[in-house]
Amino acid sequence: MVGIVLVSHSFELAHGLAALASQVAGSEVRVEPAGGGPDGTLGTTGDVVWNAISRADCGQGVVVLADLGSSVLTVRHLLEEGRSNGHVRLVDAPFVEGAIAAAVMSSAGQDLDEVARAAEDARGASKF
Amino acid sequence: MLAVQASFNPENSASSRGPVSEITVALPAAVALHARPAANFVKTAIRFRSRVTVGVNGKIADAKSILAVLALGATGGTVLKLNAEGEDAPAALDALAACVSGLVE
Repeated sequence: MVGIVLVSHSFELAHGLAALASQVAGSEVRVEPAGGGPDGTLGTTGDVVWNAISRADCGQGVVVLADLGSSVLTVRHLLEEGRSNGHVRLVDAPFVEGAIAAAVMSSAGQDLDEVARAAEDARGASKF
Repeated sequence: MLAVQASFNPENSASSRGPVSEITVALPAAVALHARPAANFVKTAIRFRSRVTVGVNGKIADAKSILAVLALGATGGTVLKLNAEGEDAPAALDALAACVSGLVE
């Protein structure tokens, strides 16, 4: 299955969303949170994100969602270092809806392209 | 309750995507189409090639989109109108009817 990584400035936001996505999609999907800076501060750190990517990676690709601003930059910096072998994809998607959509698509056995597309398509989804 | 009405109308299809089938099926009284039950429903729909929609009180959603299905806000006991269009449409609706009637919280 495609792994999902949730990058947030907030430890609680990343972990809370990971718990929600896992509850909806099922625990068989690896949804890994990467949130917070050193010592409980708000922020993102490359090592935390990279470790989450490594945990999420089952060999079928990883979709990474970021909350805002420098979360995106942290992920981009990691990917530009070339440590991922091309199957880690940062998607431009709403954080909550994108995570849920991606996790469900992954749990349904869809591939990296389909999971990434579901996350990005979440932008157009109405809540009710 | 399982399907209370079923139809199979190849002539209804204006496109070449294949036969159209439609059924109605009620959610179990104690199960809303949210969270895990919604995901199970969507995962079942994704197994089929047919285009599948689910209608609730006049709102229609892509049955393969978790966000669209969640947005229906279908509560326990709600009657769902399932429509499938494609070569495997009857099989898709059989599977979805079984899925819906077997949903648990």
